[in-house]
Amino acid sequence: MIKKTFQIPDMTCTNCAMKIESLEDILAGVKEINASYHKLQMVIEYDETKLTDEQIIAAVKKKGYTAVVK
Amino acid sequence: MSNKQKNKNEPINPMIIIVLGVVFIVIAVAMFVFQPNSNSINIAADSSTMSQLMVAFITGITTGGLSCLAVQGGLLASSLAHQIEQDYTEQITHGKKAKQIAVRTNSALPIFLFLFAKVIAYTLLGALLGFVGSYLTFSPMTRAMLMIFIGIFMIGNALRMFNVHPIFRYFSIEPPKFLTRYIRRTAKGTDTFTPVFLGALTIFIPCGVTQAMMATALGTGSAAMGAALMLAFTLGTSPVFFIVAYLATELGSKLEKFFMRFVAVVVLILGFVTLNGGLNVLGSPLSFENMTRGLFPSLSRPAPVAESAPQAQIPAGELALNVQNGGYFPATLKAPADKDLTLNLITNQTYSCARDFVIPALNYYQLLPDTGTVQMMIPAQKKGSTLFFTCSMGMYTGQIVFE
Repeated sequence: MIKKTFQIPDMTCTNCAMKIESLEDILAGVKEINASYHKLQMVIEYDETKLTDEQIIAAVKKKGYTAVVK
Repeated sequence: MSNKQKNKNEPINPMIIIVLGVVFIVIAVAMFVFQPNSNSINIAADSSTMSQLMVAFITGITTGGLSCLAVQGGLLASSLAHQIEQDYTEQITHGKKAKQIAVRTNSALPIFLFLFAKVIAYTLLGALLGFVGSYLTFSPMTRAMLMIFIGIFMIGNALRMFNVHPIFRYFSIEPPKFLTRYIRRTAKGTDTFTPVFLGALTIFIPCGVTQAMMATALGTGSAAMGAALMLAFTLGTSPVFFIVAYLATELGSKLEKFFMRFVAVVVLILGFVTLNGGLNVLGSPLSFENMTRGLFPSLSRPAPVAESAPQAQIPAGELALNVQNGGYFPATLKAPADKDLTLNLITNQTYSCARDFVIPALNYYQLLPDTGTVQMMIPAQKKGSTLFFTCSMGMYTGQIVFE
């Protein structure tokens, strides 16, 4: 398991953070996601053998946001 | 797509919605400004339970809904703002087709949740009021601080929506993670927390009519009756709240590009109004009314003769203030300095929040009878000083100038 931080500059409210956190229920290999509208970032703890950065970025994009590795 | 289907999916003419919205808002403002001298909240102690509840409901559906909307509209706007932001983001992400469906369904849900939470919260409050009595009454100072806090919160939120500075993002409350997780898993991603939380918060900023109803609930001395009374009243306020808020949202969806700014402007204005009300209740000379009263002397005109009839019974040398549904008349009283005074507060079928009379500098607070005269002693004041008075919501104001 590793922990990574992604910048998400296009969050506009706390609901966006909630929507991004819902990836927890969708992406395989994710243990926990903590997204913060205040910091415009998400911290994701995941199994790097099951998930790649590109997959995470793509999943975030599907939710309507842009994720950039910090 | 066939022509038939096309017509079915065509949005309503924006002009119709704009006109309807404007009509509702004008009616709301007119009814709020020109509150009728109705005796709808004068619930007689000996009337039957059912008629008390019916009167409470009718009060809610007439004056209560509009009065509450004027005071608590900001919280509802904040609640809707979250949903609208979410919808707006989805529209950008999924294109125009999804937008028309999303806005329709989503705009009603947060309003409903807000009102549902409000009804539940007030029913519980009614039960508590009936049970505990006056222990839960907020002092004017507490309410003033709360209003100032809410006003600053709303202004900060509006500035956040305008993207003025990253610091304003902190005005948006991030619910605890365990709660968002729970909500997400039970509500399938629907934003229920914000409107429910804000709807429940309205118990801390009751409008004048609500306060009168709360006072009535206090007087019932029964938890069940207090709860039933507040339930009937808030149920009555809900249709007006819902219609005006829903139309306002629909109106906005037609003007999607500008609506985010529109919501921010509304929240900003309501924030300033709330903050200003708080300053009035604090007796601050920095409130809008207290700073500008001298500029609009016409607003300080005495009350019409018929409404100020009881003034004739006031002894010479004493001050008389007519407390009416539309405010205090005259708004500026002149009094001799360095001399104890008696102020006669005269009500005559007064049911608005003007009855909740406050002189912050003297820490004086009194819920006046709907009709009658209440005397208060004012200790000697220095020459050139001013005592500001207001209703407990900071909506109606006035001053006594010592010369």
